Amino acid sequence: MQPMTRKEFLKSMGACASLLIAGGAGYPVFAGENSGNIRGTVFRGDAPDKPWKWSKEAIYYEKTGKDVRCLLCPNHCYLRPGDRSVCRSRVNIDGKLYSLAYGNPCTFHIDPVEKKPLNHFYPGSTVFSIAATGCNLRCLNCQNWEISQKRPEDVTHSELFPAAVVSSALKGDAPSIAYTYSEAITYYEYMYDTARCAREAGVKNILVSNGYINDKPLSELARYIDGANINLKSFDNKIYMALNGGTLAPVLNTFKRLHEKGVWFEMTTLVVPSYIDDPDMIKRMCGWILKELGPGYPLHFSRFFPNYKLNRLPPTPVSQLENFRDIARKEGLHYVYLGNVPGNEACNTYCHNCSKILVERAGYYIKQMNIHDGKCRYCDTLIPGRWPRKV
Amino acid sequence: MRVDKNLIVWSIIGTGISSITVQLVTIREFLTQFHGNEITISLVLFVWLLLNGVGSLASRLFKITKAATYFLLILLIALWPLPQLVIIRYFREMLILHGSSPGFYQILFYVTITTAPYALLTGYILPAALDLIRAHYYDFTSGELYITDSIGDILGGAIFSFILVYWFNPFKILAISSSLLIITSLHLFIKDKKNHITVISLLIVAIFYTYSLNSAFEKSTLTGQYGDVIRYSETPIGRLIITKEGAQHTFWESGTPLYSDGDIISSEEKVHYPMCQPDKKIENVLLISGGIGETLPEIYKYRPKSIDYVELDPALTGMAIKAGLLKPEPGLNIINRDGRAFLKETSKKYDVIIMDLPDPDTFQVNRFFTSEFFAVTKKRLSADGVLSFGVKSYENYMSDIIKSKLSSIYNTLKQYYSNVMILPGKDAYFICSDHGLDPDIPARLEKKSIITEYIQYYYYGNVTRERISQIMDNLDTNEYVNTDFEPRLLNIAFKEWFSKQGFSPNTFLIVIACMVIIYIILMKKEEYILFSSGLAAMAVEMLVIYCFQIVYGYVYLKVGVLITAFLFGLLPGAVLGSTFRQKNHSELVLSEIFILGLLICLFVWVSFIRSDLHQIWFIGYSVLFSFFCGLQFPVVTGIIGEKMSPAAGCIAADLAGAAAGTLLVGTLLVPLAGIQAAIIVVIFIKITSSMLIIFGRKY
Repeated sequence: MQPMTRKEFLKSMGACASLLIAGGAGYPVFAGENSGNIRGTVFRGDAPDKPWKWSKEAIYYEKTGKDVRCLLCPNHCYLRPGDRSVCRSRVNIDGKLYSLAYGNPCTFHIDPVEKKPLNHFYPGSTVFSIAATGCNLRCLNCQNWEISQKRPEDVTHSELFPAAVVSSALKGDAPSIAYTYSEAITYYEYMYDTARCAREAGVKNILVSNGYINDKPLSELARYIDGANINLKSFDNKIYMALNGGTLAPVLNTFKRLHEKGVWFEMTTLVVPSYIDDPDMIKRMCGWILKELGPGYPLHFSRFFPNYKLNRLPPTPVSQLENFRDIARKEGLHYVYLGNVPGNEACNTYCHNCSKILVERAGYYIKQMNIHDGKCRYCDTLIPGRWPRKV
Repeated sequence: MRVDKNLIVWSIIGTGISSITVQLVTIREFLTQFHGNEITISLVLFVWLLLNGVGSLASRLFKITKAATYFLLILLIALWPLPQLVIIRYFREMLILHGSSPGFYQILFYVTITTAPYALLTGYILPAALDLIRAHYYDFTSGELYITDSIGDILGGAIFSFILVYWFNPFKILAISSSLLIITSLHLFIKDKKNHITVISLLIVAIFYTYSLNSAFEKSTLTGQYGDVIRYSETPIGRLIITKEGAQHTFWESGTPLYSDGDIISSEEKVHYPMCQPDKKIENVLLISGGIGETLPEIYKYRPKSIDYVELDPALTGMAIKAGLLKPEPGLNIINRDGRAFLKETSKKYDVIIMDLPDPDTFQVNRFFTSEFFAVTKKRLSADGVLSFGVKSYENYMSDIIKSKLSSIYNTLKQYYSNVMILPGKDAYFICSDHGLDPDIPARLEKKSIITEYIQYYYYGNVTRERISQIMDNLDTNEYVNTDFEPRLLNIAFKEWFSKQGFSPNTFLIVIACMVIIYIILMKKEEYILFSSGLAAMAVEMLVIYCFQIVYGYVYLKVGVLITAFLFGLLPGAVLGSTFRQKNHSELVLSEIFILGLLICLFVWVSFIRSDLHQIWFIGYSVLFSFFCGLQFPVVTGIIGEKMSPAAGCIAADLAGAAAGTLLVGTLLVPLAGIQAAIIVVIFIKITSSMLIIFGRKY
């Protein structure tokens, strides 16, 4: 047989190169998703040339010449002119940081407050719920990825500036506005201005968030927030990095700050099978809540269903949710609920003192309400939460 | 010492048997490991063929002159498939986040690294065998090598498709398919008195069989991915697994969680949304798939006279019955058939037809969402009957992709049903009837005294009139309808897949396109003919598989038969080609005309006839097409001459063409432009090669 010719050598090299490129193209993907940290990265050169109608200069950022650093969330995105933040909503245009999500919600609906979920916040009331695009995390099980992992320019949106949001809520007979679905922190300026308008109009504000926000913007926002549901996705930094692309400490700080500011909040932990299944972690988590926040803030354990990129896991066994609820109650938390489990008794509210049923729920319906003036009808114990004066 | 030529010939046949079997086992494995769509199949085949080509070219660099070295490699080919399969299963948990679905580049990377050793080695060994035979003064041509390899390929495909897939799990299939290679290599070591090598080889072979024949070991390789496996079965249609998480059972079909205990939301939505609609008593219900768990008990609440539950895989229903997840009741008929074929043939009229299928992201599933299928459902429904099914959606926002998906299905349904209602949620449910439809489901359930746990208490909060209107008002009436051969939904599903992964395959495709162009420039014009024929052969093989899937559905079972048919055609083609090899180009021109003719026939059938052909037509067409492709190989090598174009160059051109064809059709043309467009492009490529032959003759 002949030795290899120059052409054949080139052919072999070409084939090898295409395979290397093919393989090499995959490498960063693995390095990202399986390196134990799926934190998002800044999108270089992805910003529009100029602000659009729904832009607003950001409140929290610092300048270094024409470069800016966003100070809204712990990602602290450092953006050169033309760059876009991890959350996809903030851009550096000519040395100024703009939010591109102001007055352009991609969705709004009227929901029951229990859907947020909030069980101790005016039960049975409705909420005008809005969202603009973006998220500062990268949760692999995100149920809102169609809007949370998109740029504001990529979605169909309505025009609803802050005053119009409030009037829409009033028109829909909704006593509250919820900033929800995607990640509300990413459209902070829009939320903040709307919340101020709402407060003036006597409409309440609800923040539904991952709690991944810096102290200063949170403290300022907290002045106008009446209720919140914050995700406590796990109590392990490694899991936070692997499944969500964030870290635990800032979220814990959010709970402490809301507690200090007197904002009513509830916590939600989505129990993802084979990730959030360590009872010791749940014990530690509940221990921390008890020590730092007290026993009164409700904790919701929510059942996972396969979603988005995490679609090859089974749903959470209900028995595991019940086990976690038992652990949390044994640790001393007074109000522990189960979510996504229709018909389960853990959807009801029981008095932590006399154990009698306070709020009996059938889905979004309140079948019994035994809280009067914020107290248990049977033993007069003060029940933490925000309750209607008269039922 | 002169090596026995027959032993080498047997080893070539053994390599053919092993490589085809391992390829089929590997494709099936990847289909269950990743999302089993057409892109996955094409990526596996592309990588495999390309690596084969690289291995083939590598034989020019590394030559084998000693028989012992050659047979050591043969032994490695025999034994490696087992560790390869174990690596595919274990590395998934190491390289891809547990429980997640990988994207395009991850699949490509993973397939490349896990199959590279075997695919390179099998590509290398064929020209190496030719070298060895010639080094020992035997006469053996490239064409004869091609024929011998084809015999092995056909045997491998046939044994797998007609015997192994029905009776054995993957590890045992590998053990059986490697036997001939093990025997030939051990035979040589013993004959040549290589005592040390013989002893070590025997030891390794013993370990190989101990593990490959051990069912417990095979099951244990699945636990990392699935957890506590309590039942496991490989059926010709797919991999079935039941796991236990605490008190909960989860039923997995080909890697995807199909059902878990306590999912009352999904069961109530899929059953009560349609079943509460008819005013009259419901007599006959047809359930296409999804009968495991709470679904049937929810249907029983209406006390129908009969429930026909159609599920393709008898192993699935059998396993569910054994696990107590499916309870036979009076009036329940479990029918193990393809749902579409059943509906076409039955004369029974149904009051309600419920489909519980995955989203239409493969040809196999798409055929239940097409105009052709909806026409059949209309015929089988009673006067006020209701058809219902759900597709994945997003309740809070209607993205462009979801809008296209829902609009396409809506427009397709509206061809046959005067009323089509969409109820939003995580799954958007289509309720279709010629009778009036009422979105107030809780009120209708109350009227019928049906008690539910979810709908009664959550429906008004989740499925508001405002949300229903938002969907209905946003539908695009100009969106294409979905048909069998213009699978608009499949195109949308691929866009959705890439959107979810946040990646585009463009960079990869551009790089490959550039490489192919450079390769074509560098090759001899006769090699281009082999390249184009390799491309056409694989492209048509993929297209025939897709068309088969459209008509019959169960490709997982029959993919081996179709591949075998293609391989089968190559052999007589190559034999006939060998008799022409000393002549001129006329045989090539003739074969090109036949290939073009067959492509035009396929185009005409796909575009204008579209009748449900008997399976034998698909097999016959495959044999015929590959016959003419096979004929070209020895003719071209004969024209170029063994000295000018040794086997390695021709094999590499053939394999590179096959790899390019797989990618072109499976990843690019069919997902983006449909089957007809893919055939047109292949016709165009074959015209260029025909022109080249004719042009070449003039000079």
